Amino acid sequence: MTWSSRIQAFFRGVFRREKFEQDMQAEQRFHIESYAEDLVRQGVSREQALRRARVEFGAVEAQKEDCRASLGLRLWDELRADVRYALRVMRKSPGFTTVAVLTLALGIGTSTTVFSWIDGVLLNPLGGVSRPQELVTFETVTPNGQFTPTSYPDYRDYRDYLHLNLAMSRPTSFSIGEQEHAERVWGELVSGNFFDVLGVAPSVGRVFVPEEFGDKPNGFPIAVISDRYWRAHFHSDPSIIGKTIVVNRQPITVVGVASPGFHGSMAGLAFDVWIPYMMQPALQGVNEWMLRDRKTRNLLGILRLPRDVTREQLQSRISVFAGMMSKANPYEDGGMSAAILPSWKSHFGTQGLLLAPFQLLMAVCCVVLLIVCANVGNLLLARFAARDREFGMRLTLGASHARIARQALTEGVVMATVATLLGIGMALLLGGSLPRLLPARDVPLTVDVSLNSSILWFSIVVCAATAILSGVPSMFQAFHVNLNDAIKESGRGSASGTRARRVRGALVISEVALALLTLIGAGLFVRSFRRATQIDPGFSTDHVVLAQFALTSSGYSLPERKEFSRRLRQQLEADPGVVAVSYSDGAPLGVEPSWWEDLKIRGYEPAPGENMKIYRNVVAPGYFDVLHIPLVEGRDFTEHDSDEKDSAPVMIVSQSFVKRFFGDGAALGRQVYGWGKWFTVVGVVKDAKYNNLAESAIPYFYVPFRQVYRADMNLSFYVKTKAADPGDGIALVRREVRAIDPSIAVINVLPLGEYIGASLYPQRLAAMLLSVLGGLALMLAAVGLYSVIAYSVMQRTREIGIRMALGAQVGDILRLIVRNGMALTGAGVGCGIAAALLVAPKLTSISVAGSAMGGSGTLLRNSAVDPVIYAGAAIFLTLIAALATFVPARRATKVDPVVTLRYE
Amino acid sequence: MPQLELLQGTLDMLILKAVSLGPLHGYGVLLRIQQISQERLKIEQGSLYPALYRLEAQGWIASEWGESENKRKAKFYRLTAAGKRRLEAETVKWNEMAGVIAAILETARGEV
Repeated sequence: MTWSSRIQAFFRGVFRREKFEQDMQAEQRFHIESYAEDLVRQGVSREQALRRARVEFGAVEAQKEDCRASLGLRLWDELRADVRYALRVMRKSPGFTTVAVLTLALGIGTSTTVFSWIDGVLLNPLGGVSRPQELVTFETVTPNGQFTPTSYPDYRDYRDYLHLNLAMSRPTSFSIGEQEHAERVWGELVSGNFFDVLGVAPSVGRVFVPEEFGDKPNGFPIAVISDRYWRAHFHSDPSIIGKTIVVNRQPITVVGVASPGFHGSMAGLAFDVWIPYMMQPALQGVNEWMLRDRKTRNLLGILRLPRDVTREQLQSRISVFAGMMSKANPYEDGGMSAAILPSWKSHFGTQGLLLAPFQLLMAVCCVVLLIVCANVGNLLLARFAARDREFGMRLTLGASHARIARQALTEGVVMATVATLLGIGMALLLGGSLPRLLPARDVPLTVDVSLNSSILWFSIVVCAATAILSGVPSMFQAFHVNLNDAIKESGRGSASGTRARRVRGALVISEVALALLTLIGAGLFVRSFRRATQIDPGFSTDHVVLAQFALTSSGYSLPERKEFSRRLRQQLEADPGVVAVSYSDGAPLGVEPSWWEDLKIRGYEPAPGENMKIYRNVVAPGYFDVLHIPLVEGRDFTEHDSDEKDSAPVMIVSQSFVKRFFGDGAALGRQVYGWGKWFTVVGVVKDAKYNNLAESAIPYFYVPFRQVYRADMNLSFYVKTKAADPGDGIALVRREVRAIDPSIAVINVLPLGEYIGASLYPQRLAAMLLSVLGGLALMLAAVGLYSVIAYSVMQRTREIGIRMALGAQVGDILRLIVRNGMALTGAGVGCGIAAALLVAPKLTSISVAGSAMGGSGTLLRNSAVDPVIYAGAAIFLTLIAALATFVPARRATKVDPVVTLRYE
Repeated sequence: MPQLELLQGTLDMLILKAVSLGPLHGYGVLLRIQQISQERLKIEQGSLYPALYRLEAQGWIASEWGESENKRKAKFYRLTAAGKRRLEAETVKWNEMAGVIAAILETARGEV
C-alpha cells in the first residue's frame, strides 16, 4: 500500500514541481506568520514576533531540502544536475566528446548489427508465423549419425501414427508465366498442412484447407503467393484470387496471399510461392512412384511442439517409432531414426552455414567493445582526475564519495546512451547488408531488419555494460581522492598520483592484449582461408565454364530432358572455340552437396550400423576429360552405356571406394547394387574433392547419365574453351540454349573456379570480418596508447624541462618516453599471447556446416598455435605502438625548458 | 515540569495521533501535540514538515488546501483509513515495548 502512494507522491513531485514548490513555500510562510500572530497576542511586538518565529522555525532551505528528500526528489534533482553537467562538459570539449562517442558508437553498433543478424537468422528467423517458439526442425538421422531430409511416406507415418503437427517443405524454383516471358521464381513444395502447422494467416483469400491436406498426386493445382510477389507482379490487386497462373507450363489457381511478414520456412531465405507437394509429378515431370518411395528423402520437416509433452518425451516417442519403422521397412528405413532440433540447430538452410561464423563474430565484437570501453574509460579517467581540487573542495563541504562517484558514472551513462542510439541506427542501416556478404545464391536472401524487442533489450544491456565499464575507472578514482593533496594550493592533485597512473597503465595493457588477440585471430583465419583456397580439388577448373539449368521447372518429360542435353552438347561442340563439353547432375563443391545412394556390394559384408550411403554423380561421357580427373584403370562411359535394353548398367568408382570396399583386390568387373539394378565397375578414377574442399578422402562413384538420370535431378553443363577469358564461353552457352528453347531457366553460367570458390564461404566470411575487426581493434589500441603517453608527457612537462635544463639531450628524452610506452606495450603483448594460448583450443573446435544440406568441417583448418602468426601479429602491433608512442615523445622534446621552469 | 526531548522515531506516531482527533494544518499539529502533552514535549520545528511530507508520501495522511480560522489559505492534513490502522498498530507496539523495558529496568539484583 505504501509503495504505490510513494510512487504517486514522487511523480506528483516530478511533474507538478512548480506547484509543489509554491505550496511548500506558502505552507512555511503560513506557519511562521501564525506563530508570529500568537506571539503578538502574547504581547510581543510585531517585528520581534516575526523574527522570533523565523528563528525558531529554523533553516527554511534546509527544511525544504528535507521535504524534497522525503519524496525522493533529491535523488531526482541530483541526477538531473549530473546529466546537465555532463552534457555541458561534453559540449565544452567537442573534439574529445566526438571521438569518445564515435568510438563507443562503433563498438556498440557493430555488436548490435551482429546481434540483429543473429536474431534474424538464428533466434527469430520465421516471420509471419504464430508462436514461433513452439516450432522445431524435424530431421531424419542415418545409422552413423548424419542428418538428412525426410521422405514423404516416412513423414506421413510419423504424422499419422504419432499424431504430430508435422509439415514438410522442399525449396524449389518454378518457371512462372507463359513461354517466352517465363520468370524464375523460388518457392516451396509443401505438405498440405504447411500453413496450418506454421500458423500463417492469409492477408487476402485463404491458405490450404483440410480438404487439401490429402495425398492425391496432382490433385491440388493451387498456390499461395507471398505478399512481396503479389505487390510486385499483381500490383496488390485482390482480384488475383481465383485466377490461374502458369507454373512450369501447368495451370495453377492462386487461392491466397500470405501475410506480409511471411517468407517461407527457411531462415534467411525469401520464397514467393507455395504449392502442395502432391503437384510435383505434374510440375517437375517426376514419376508418381517417387512420391511413395521411402528412399526419396528430399523434404525438410518443421514440427509444432505439442503443449502437453516435453521435448525429451517427444524425442523418445519418435525414436521408438523410428525403431518400429526400421523393422517394418528394413530395406528403406533400416537403422534410420529421426530427431527434433531447435531451428537454429537445423542442418539445412543458412543456419548451418552461419552459426559458427556468427558465434565467432559476436565474440570478436565483444572484444572490440571491451577495447572501446577501456579507451573511453581511460579518457574519462584522465579528465576526471584533472578535477581533483574541485572534488576535494566538495568533499570538505560535505559531499559523500558516493555522490562524486555517481557524477563520474553519469558522464559514462550519457555518452553510452548517445552512442547506443547511434549504434542502433547503424544496426538498422547495416542489418540488411548481411545478404550481400553471403555467397550469391539464386534464392533471394532476406534478413528481417526491424527494431524488435530482443534487439532493444540487447542494446539496453550493452549500453548499461558499456556505461559501467567506461565509468568504473573514474568511479574508482572518486573513492580515492586524497583530501590533503587536493586542497593544497600548489599541489598538482592526484592526477599524476601513482594510483591513477597505474589504473591507466592497466587499461592500456588490457587494450593492447585484446588487440593482439584479435590480430592473432584474424591472422589465423586469413591463413586458414588462403590455405583452403590452395587445396587441390582433384580436378582442373582452368578454362571451364559451368552452366546450371533448372530443368525441373521446364515442363519437359524425362526423355525430353535427355534429348535437350544431347542437343545442347552437340551445338556447343560444334563451336570452334570449344575444346570439350560434358554434363552431369550436380556440380562438385557447390553450396549443396551431391546426393547419395544406398549401395550393396557383392563380396563386401557391411559391418552392423555401417553407413552404405555413398555420394555419387550422374555424368555424361567426357566428364573426366573436361575436368582433368585422371582415369587410373578401365575406361570412361561411352554412348553405348545407354538406357537401351541390351546395355548393361555400368559404374566408375573412385580410388577411395576401391580401397574401402575392394581392399587391394581388382576393382574392374565387380558388381554393385543400387537403384534396383546391378552395376558393373568399368573404371577407376583418382580421388577428388566433392562436397567440401576441407574434407578427407571419401568413397565416391559415377554412373552414366543416360542410365540413371531421374526427373528430380538438376543439370550442370561443363564447357572447356580454348580461350582463357570465360566471357565468350558464357555468351556462347546462353546463345545456344536460347536457340534450342528460350524458356529454359538458366540458373547460373559462370567460370567453374568461381563456383567452387563459394564453397569456402564460411571461411572467407570469417577471414574477412575478422580482418576488418582486427584492424579496428588495432587502431583503437593505438589511439589508447597514444592518449596515455600524450597525457603522461603533459603531466611530466615540468620534469622534462628540468631534465633538459640539467643537460639531457633530445635523444635522452625520447628514450625516456618511448621506454615508458614500450614497457606498457610489452606487458600488453605478453598478456595477449597468454590469452591467445588460452583461447586457442576453443577456436579449433568451432565447426561449421560445409554446405546448406548437411556435412560439416572445422572453420579453422590448422592448429590455433602457430608461432609465425603469433610473432607476426606481435611485431606488427609493436611497430604501430612504437609509432603511437613516438609522436608524443617527439613533442616532448620540443619543450622549452625556460618556459616550463617559469611556470608554477 | 521540565520539558522532555522527543524520543527518536516517535514524532510520526504523535503526528498521526494529533491528526486523528481532527484535520489540522502544520502549525496546528504542533500546537495540538504541545497541548495534549500539557506542554511537556518540545518538538523541533525543523523536523515537523519533513515528517508531515513523509507521512503523506507513505499514505498515512492526506492533505487538502482549506481555510484557516482567520480566513487564510492553509494546507490541512487528515488521517486516512490506512493511517488509522497504522496508528493502532504503532500504539500497540509502543505499549508492548514500554512494558518490556519497564520490566527489564525493574529487575532487582538476584532475579536474573
